[in-house]
Amino acid sequence: MSLSAARTVGTRGTPGRLGPVWTFLFRYGPPRWTEYLIKNWAGQRLVISLPYLWLLIFFLVPFLIVLKISFAEFSPLGRPPYEPVFRWLDEGALQIKLLVSSYTYLFNEPLYVSSWGYSIMVAAVSTVLCLLLGYPMAYAIARSTPTYRNVFLMLVILPFWTSFLLRVYAWIGLLKTDGVINNVLMWLGIIDAPLTMMYTSFAVYIGIVYSYLPFMILPLYSNLEKHDNTLLEAASDLGAGPIKAFLRVTLPLSFPGIVAGSLLVFIPAVGEYVIPSLLGRTDQLMIAKLLSDEFFLNRDWPKASAVAIAMLLLLVVPIMLFQHFQNKELQANKK
Amino acid sequence: MQSAERRTDKKIKNEPWRDPNAEAYVRFENITKRFGDFVAVNNVSLKIYKGEIFCLLGGSGCGKSTLLRMMAGFEQPSAGTIYLDGQDLAGIPPYERPVNMMFQSYALFPHMTVEKNIAFGLEQEKGLSRSEIATRVTDILEIVKLTPFAVRKPHQLSGGQRQRVALARSLVKRPKLLLLDEPLGALDKKLREATQFELINIQESLGVTFIVVTHDQEEAMTLASRIGVMNRGEIVQIGTPTEIYEFPMTKFVADFIGSVNMFEGQLVEDLPDRARIKSDELGGLIYIDHGISSAPGATVWAAVRPEKINIQRQPPANTSENCAKGVVKEIAYMGDVSIYLVKIDSGKTVRVTLPNVERLSDDERIQWDETVWLTWHASSPVVVTQ
Amino acid sequence: MKTQGLFSKVMLGFGFVFLYVPILSMVIFSFNDSRLVTVWNSVGSPTLKWYGRLFSDDQILSAAWLSIQVAAMSATGAVVLGTLSGLVLARFGPFKGRALLQGLTTAPLVMPEVITGLSMLLLFVSLEQLLKAMFGWQFDRGVATITIAHITFTMAYVTVVVQSRLASFDDSLEEAALDLGARPAKVFFRITVPLILPAILSGWLLAFTLSWDDLVVTQFVSGPGSNTLPMVIFSRVRLGVSPVVNALATIMVLIVALGVILSAVLMRRQELRRKREEQMAASG
Repeated sequence: MSLSAARTVGTRGTPGRLGPVWTFLFRYGPPRWTEYLIKNWAGQRLVISLPYLWLLIFFLVPFLIVLKISFAEFSPLGRPPYEPVFRWLDEGALQIKLLVSSYTYLFNEPLYVSSWGYSIMVAAVSTVLCLLLGYPMAYAIARSTPTYRNVFLMLVILPFWTSFLLRVYAWIGLLKTDGVINNVLMWLGIIDAPLTMMYTSFAVYIGIVYSYLPFMILPLYSNLEKHDNTLLEAASDLGAGPIKAFLRVTLPLSFPGIVAGSLLVFIPAVGEYVIPSLLGRTDQLMIAKLLSDEFFLNRDWPKASAVAIAMLLLLVVPIMLFQHFQNKELQANKK
Repeated sequence: MQSAERRTDKKIKNEPWRDPNAEAYVRFENITKRFGDFVAVNNVSLKIYKGEIFCLLGGSGCGKSTLLRMMAGFEQPSAGTIYLDGQDLAGIPPYERPVNMMFQSYALFPHMTVEKNIAFGLEQEKGLSRSEIATRVTDILEIVKLTPFAVRKPHQLSGGQRQRVALARSLVKRPKLLLLDEPLGALDKKLREATQFELINIQESLGVTFIVVTHDQEEAMTLASRIGVMNRGEIVQIGTPTEIYEFPMTKFVADFIGSVNMFEGQLVEDLPDRARIKSDELGGLIYIDHGISSAPGATVWAAVRPEKINIQRQPPANTSENCAKGVVKEIAYMGDVSIYLVKIDSGKTVRVTLPNVERLSDDERIQWDETVWLTWHASSPVVVTQ
Repeated sequence: MKTQGLFSKVMLGFGFVFLYVPILSMVIFSFNDSRLVTVWNSVGSPTLKWYGRLFSDDQILSAAWLSIQVAAMSATGAVVLGTLSGLVLARFGPFKGRALLQGLTTAPLVMPEVITGLSMLLLFVSLEQLLKAMFGWQFDRGVATITIAHITFTMAYVTVVVQSRLASFDDSLEEAALDLGARPAKVFFRITVPLILPAILSGWLLAFTLSWDDLVVTQFVSGPGSNTLPMVIFSRVRLGVSPVVNALATIMVLIVALGVILSAVLMRRQELRRKREEQMAASG
């Protein structure tokens, strides 16, 4: 009944009788801006498809390929070094050979088993440490006067623009046996013999916290900055001391920022390669290094692919959490 | 209010809306708009005539802005048709409609000068030469009195100046219809009053039809040739400002425009030339000097405007009708008028407005807690049945 | 309130020390006349000899040049695609597959690089095989594959920057332009783009930096003979410290610091001027 009304009064030459398109669009309850775009449907399609196709081809399809190869059989002398998963036989039949041996290996081989646990642990500890340092910093910045605030933010962001690799390298110079820290401590007489800091988990924590600190501070800051100061004043007026006010008002309100910052650190930290390579233990590897070794040293593509898929599965829940929070932030910022 | 009324008389001498054969310039026919389950506009039909300033008046969420946006082309109706000058606008995108809109936030392009802002719309039209565009821009700048500000950017202008740029930008395209979304909302009171009359002048001299959306009844009363009062997606009453104010058809309209005292009662006498209502809220009878077409014994409401009530210390001659005794509970001195809140014997609080005509000494002026009599003329109450 | 404020201020100070001491130490020791880098040799220092070595190091210089080229191309590609997807996500209404697009554009932000690198390499290998089988073409991985890979993961950042800028953008400006007769494409180029230009530029810079600095993905997808600067640096520092790297680091820090300070100063000045103009308008 409603659509037929739209077809009434046939005045000559009026464009735009697009009944089925109306139904399609109105089923989703279109929002403000785009309704008239019906006419420009072709242009809109083009704009959407450009980035979409790119991402499909170069981001999504590769994962499917990795998935496929993870089920393949390793063939050490082959180029590429795996047996084809799909093969057309002479009779016209399609042979599909799927091996789960790569996966079972991942979950049985002690090297891998310990690596999974270690990677998660390192990422988790680093995230917590990063939060412990980053939160007070973000808090202080959010509460400083606008001029200082901009300077502080600039100082936080500046290291981010210099090379990640070089900043990790900088810690080698600080942490090694004849490095700056040891030299200073010995010179001050605090220690007699140099501390072993390189090639330890401790070094990896420092490296991750150091590199990812801006990623923790910025979402926290952007959340804290929006806090209404009068809320704290109200809490104080109602009798809450500063610590209590913080715990009952500020902290809960900053929760989305905490989650966003933590996920921004944790997820990439699990799969971190550079930092453990330069600073980390040689006896206990993180999972990214295993993947790389499996691929480049052993040339075992199926196993490397299986590791990648397993990592993805491990991280898919945190990733989706992150995207959920990211969306919420964007909606909140929409005017 | 008086001068605006005279203007509209001048402008729309024949009051085309009263002529059943007159051709409406803008027609909304059975327009409905749904957002999911929510019905923003519910089966609205409306006729607007050329040269009118038509105001859609209502509170927030009543659907007036949605109606405007459908006219502009930013929303499509879920049902119904919109006609402009005989043309069905369905499916026509905003950039192809001979309609222009003045946005509440003015929406001036911050990276362009005033001139470029105004010229923008003309540049989109085919067949206009550079010099023609320049001439039209200069002309409209003169009309809105912004000629010295031509090369400034929006952030270098005051609020009132920005508003005039927004107006100029839409008018320069000579649209058939101009839509104004809360045009005076962002201005302070003094500026608002001055701008209201300027707006009417410009509209008259250019002859463009305006549709204005506002929640401010003062604005509507000043600007409009006719007002359409909206509530919850529907048009509740359409009429000239006088009609709306003096002859509201529902409780909602009576209450929405200005202040009103409502007395609920039963219709006890209903003759062609007079009627009587027995009202417990008043504590007496209300005598009205015209007939009301309603069933006898029906529950009706008599609406009496505060400025039509008289306060006096002595009881009137006839204390059985159109009067009440009460105690003055509150007085608000507003400078030009005083507002009295009088609690009458029935318990109801009645609002009375008196102009401060003379400079009275404190003894002569009516004071708090004084016992007073309220009376009004038999023609004052308006009876609404819903 | 005071003690709490004090704690966070102290942490702020400590945090900045933590952030900058490593950088400073790198810079200082670039002038140290010692192969051991961190053992200060007061005899020969300070010296510029490592800088000299740096500028005669062909491997580093050619790698740097390659990195700049790749980064510039990637950043440009990322900005084009990222702005489009930011526009789509911020402005276009629901359409089939929107959720997937949202996911695809933001997943690279957190995806560990080994996964992205591996998957893109396998894609390129499959493409190689396909093209060889179908057309007999043989193409090697190199600059093209690195650029494609970089575009893919950096466009996510551009998308986020553009999308959030558009979300906080008053879209009545775009509506006004449409109302005045401009078609959507025109509105985009004449109204939207000029107003989000700062976001687009910072997106370009962001993509440039990420591409310039990338190691893991590049290692996977590069070919023989295409060594980027991070790859060269990494292979050198795996074995320990290298004073030439310190010199390189110092130069980079200097460039970045100058750039950031310059842009901050420029922005501040523009902001002040704008405020002044607004005040003048309000009073006059």
